[in-house]
Amino acid sequence: MSVSPAMTTETPDVIEEPSLLRDTARAFARNRMALVGLCFVLILVCVAVFAPLVSPHDPYRVALDEQLLPASTTYWLGTDNFGRDVLTRILYGARISLVVGIVPSLISLLIGTFMGVLSGYIGGKVDFVIMRLADMMIAFPSLLLAMVVMYTLGANLFNIFIALALVGWAGVARVVRSQTLALKEKEFIEAARANGTSRATIMFRHIFPNVVPTLIVLFSLSIPDAIMWESSLSFLGVGVQPPEASWGLLISRGKEYLFQAPLVAIAPGVAILLTVLAFNFVGDGLRDALDPSMKD
Amino acid sequence: MKNKVKLLLASGLASLVLLSPALADQMLRISYSEDPKTADVQMTTDFYTLPLNVFDRLIEAETTGPGTSALVPGLAESWEISQDGLVYTFHLRQGVQFHDGAELTADDVAYTFDRMLNPATKALGTDILDFVAGAQERLDGAADTVTGLKVLDKYTIQITLSQPYAAFLALMASPQASIYNRAFTEAAGDQFGLTPETTNGTGPFILQSYELNDSQMLVANKNYFRGAPKLDRILIRVVSDSETLRLLFETDEIDVFDMDYATSQTPYFYGNDQWKDQIRTGPRVGMYYYHINQAIKPFDDVRVRKAFQMAINREQILEKNFYGKGQLENGVMPRGLTCYEPATPIEYNPVKAKELLAEAGYPDGVEITLAQVSSWSSKWSDMNQIIQAQAADAGFKVKINTMDEAAYFAQRKAGAIDAYTQSWSADFNDPDNFFYTFFSDSGTKVRAFNNEDPEAFAAIDKARSMTDPEARCALYRDLGERIVQTDAAWVPLFSLDHSYVVQPRVKNFVVPWNGWSDMNYYKMEIAE
Amino acid sequence: MLMFAIRRILVSIPVLIGITAILFVMLNVIPGDPVALLMKEHASPEVIARVTAQMHLDDPLWTRYFRFLSGALQGDLGTSIKLNRSVTDLILKAFPNTLYLAACAAVVSWVIGIPAGILSAVRRDSFADRFFMGFSLLGVSMPIFWSALLMQYVFALKLKLLPVSGFYGFEYVIMPAIVLGWSSAGVIARLTRSSLLEVMRHDYIRTARAKGLREVRVISRHALKNALIPVVTIMAIQIASLLSGAVITEAIFGIPGVGRISINAIQARDMPLLQGSVLFATVLVILGNLVADILYSILDPRIRSQMRKGAQ
Repeated sequence: MSVSPAMTTETPDVIEEPSLLRDTARAFARNRMALVGLCFVLILVCVAVFAPLVSPHDPYRVALDEQLLPASTTYWLGTDNFGRDVLTRILYGARISLVVGIVPSLISLLIGTFMGVLSGYIGGKVDFVIMRLADMMIAFPSLLLAMVVMYTLGANLFNIFIALALVGWAGVARVVRSQTLALKEKEFIEAARANGTSRATIMFRHIFPNVVPTLIVLFSLSIPDAIMWESSLSFLGVGVQPPEASWGLLISRGKEYLFQAPLVAIAPGVAILLTVLAFNFVGDGLRDALDPSMKD
Repeated sequence: MKNKVKLLLASGLASLVLLSPALADQMLRISYSEDPKTADVQMTTDFYTLPLNVFDRLIEAETTGPGTSALVPGLAESWEISQDGLVYTFHLRQGVQFHDGAELTADDVAYTFDRMLNPATKALGTDILDFVAGAQERLDGAADTVTGLKVLDKYTIQITLSQPYAAFLALMASPQASIYNRAFTEAAGDQFGLTPETTNGTGPFILQSYELNDSQMLVANKNYFRGAPKLDRILIRVVSDSETLRLLFETDEIDVFDMDYATSQTPYFYGNDQWKDQIRTGPRVGMYYYHINQAIKPFDDVRVRKAFQMAINREQILEKNFYGKGQLENGVMPRGLTCYEPATPIEYNPVKAKELLAEAGYPDGVEITLAQVSSWSSKWSDMNQIIQAQAADAGFKVKINTMDEAAYFAQRKAGAIDAYTQSWSADFNDPDNFFYTFFSDSGTKVRAFNNEDPEAFAAIDKARSMTDPEARCALYRDLGERIVQTDAAWVPLFSLDHSYVVQPRVKNFVVPWNGWSDMNYYKMEIAE
Repeated sequence: MLMFAIRRILVSIPVLIGITAILFVMLNVIPGDPVALLMKEHASPEVIARVTAQMHLDDPLWTRYFRFLSGALQGDLGTSIKLNRSVTDLILKAFPNTLYLAACAAVVSWVIGIPAGILSAVRRDSFADRFFMGFSLLGVSMPIFWSALLMQYVFALKLKLLPVSGFYGFEYVIMPAIVLGWSSAGVIARLTRSSLLEVMRHDYIRTARAKGLREVRVISRHALKNALIPVVTIMAIQIASLLSGAVITEAIFGIPGVGRISINAIQARDMPLLQGSVLFATVLVILGNLVADILYSILDPRIRSQMRKGAQ
């Protein structure tokens, strides 16, 4: 589904109090699932960064004599059809899946924010053109768009970033634009304008900081989205390429062994499941915490 | 929405029929990984199940045993070949009826081949008629008829070739040579073969329904000239996902599971008590190979090519990736092909390969790239990954470049693609189908081998028109040695068996001689 | 209202033309040759060249684009290169199947998402809140091809309750609808939850509470009606996006829908078919958005007046 998670995000009021951070942290901490999610994400990041240290085996070593071994004390989750340790592959897969989650989300956030603020603040023809562009991106079937990009540029990690950023920026731009429109009417912006502050400064110094809370929520919710997208691309064969491994690729390659060695496909699926769930909890927690309308 | 409801009702009924085991009629349920697009064989080069069952050929290649075949009379009862090997006269069987009741005549045969060459048809399979006199003129639009096609009388057709071609009879038995009916096909125009209403052949089965991306249903042709088939119906379902196919088979919704779609399941089926006796297997007259593009460095150097041949542990791949179901091959021809004889073995020797690389000026190893296609079965990319690991011992640093199929064929056609692995199985039982395909002047370019060897080109051309079988086979043998041993232009891997698992009710399932997935189901039976 | 709809449709015309033009250019940049692909392993250079010319695929880019545009304006989207059939027919035949799947999936997502959203709003920050939100998010957390495979394994192979794959009746749609619908239930649940929380802060709810009405009554009688407005309006958009999101579900469950066609089209570099299916999907999304806005204005009088202003 490409209905933007932002549709449910309320427009936050202007950040004025310095205690906001503390309030947010407190509100966030009240939400136990969000905390659990955050812990999971942090552990995952550590695992990903230190994959070579924590992995019991070499992820690329081909040992055809040890194909599809069941779980054992040597291979906790068994081995795949190349005799590679499934657990190690998953730990290394965490690196790629996280990068695939984070980098394209950042790029689409950057582009989307820039376009959104520009469109909302300047208005007129700029607004019209940017919004029609965004309309196009949103109306275009996303999976096809991503496939076209992958086919054109070739299947590798960097091009996945481009494909996913292209799919994602328009949603961000729309949300940011509507917030910018609301902010534009606020007194402190009008005051700045009256003071003769340049448009660029207003956009960067005054509007942007006020969009940040929304961006944080959008970011945390678009990471799991991107991870899922990559898995779809992997299923269609245009995602990360072996012998590298993303979780999506591990499932789509492992599923043919469901009968002989179910763990090869099930374990990376569980990894995606938990990670995506964790990010969603964190995102929901952040939104609840950052959104003043949610406070009693 | 109303239509939708109707459609669902109709398909609901279909599903009742489909699922009810008590139904008395004999229905075979098989699958296809992709929609076959059409029954018109002139418009396809790789979906032959419909043509093989809906149409007949003048001659048929009958499977006589595992991996062996014989050319037997089909629609042609008998034929003569002139002394010079140029004129083929076919005498048609009389009284053969098309599904619409029309009688087959020599004019239909002439029409069929003329239609293939008619530029308005935009046919893809024209190369089977390359040797017919006047074919090129017709294709180019320079002539309105084909001079080499002549109707002598109602049941006699004469085909004249522009030069002798030893494999012509075998070609006439290939699916592309299916015979159509003039009146019907002309009326159907470009819709021919796309729907049941616009399909008409003489074959044992009649196309009854065609739902794009879903299924085709064939029913028995009770008036088939050899006698009605044993099966009443064949349901061909389009199942694109191989795990889904597997589950369909295990839940008894499909009768035949083609292990090509899940090579990795070989040990499971062979080791499973329920299925191990239900496996039908036969050799595939086909070759797994690595292609080498000599236009791309470092493969311009024969020593590097030789080293690559030696750096691959084929035995291990056959054993581990294909579970030993096949045999190593060292030539251009696989077992089962006319003229086949074991060739000089290629040795697995990473040490020597390393020396060869050093000799060629790469003492520290050399980087090479393998191309692979994203949508192909994982066995290809698995093989590349294994080779990546194996060839590292000899000093090859293998990079793998994945692309999608359309890009792959475009690059390959342009001669610019990196080395890749593929298989080829015989369309017709003649060495020409291998040598010409890969090492003729046009084949070596369009497949991006770029093995520019005028002597090989000349030998292949010469062999095509030779009429003495023994001398011809000897020529092919020498040519094979030259290509594999001297020039190292080809890396033969192995020929594999093709295995199927069938439900116990399926009787008389015979793996076709060439080991294809596409076969004729005329003799098959279903018995509870 | 009519003015508004007309204006929206007019504004979307450049969007449609833009999309077709971009697609055309992109498809010319993508490496690939539809005719070589038709012939696959049997490719011969002469035949490829001849058939390419016969299909007019070697015409200049703009010639082909204008041929497509003028055809499209007359309702003719051309002939598929790969399938050799009319693109319009192909799409119209596949569309009801996808629509049926998308509608069933949408129902599943509401059945899971709306109650989950309500419960978690009512019991905000409780275990129930987390549990129901978690359950509705579970669907979006599993790759469809993974959850589909597990479901097929359990419900078709082990329990023998449902057919594995195919499209021959209602029982065949159950699994794909659950897989697809569950994957969008999280969005519905979130929307329901936040919208209900928002409504419950309003004065009339406080008044109702102050009058001593039971909480269940307050919610079912007063809050829900208003809280569900955004949920209802998003439905049109949701169905449109399910239509184009059904690609993988269709492939796994063997449903002959438009998603399969569009994927086939791009893999085959089948320009007419791809153009046709993208155009079709785009129009659906635009219409879905329009319907959503109109629904919103009907349900919420405040917006209606704004829209009238906007149209002028």
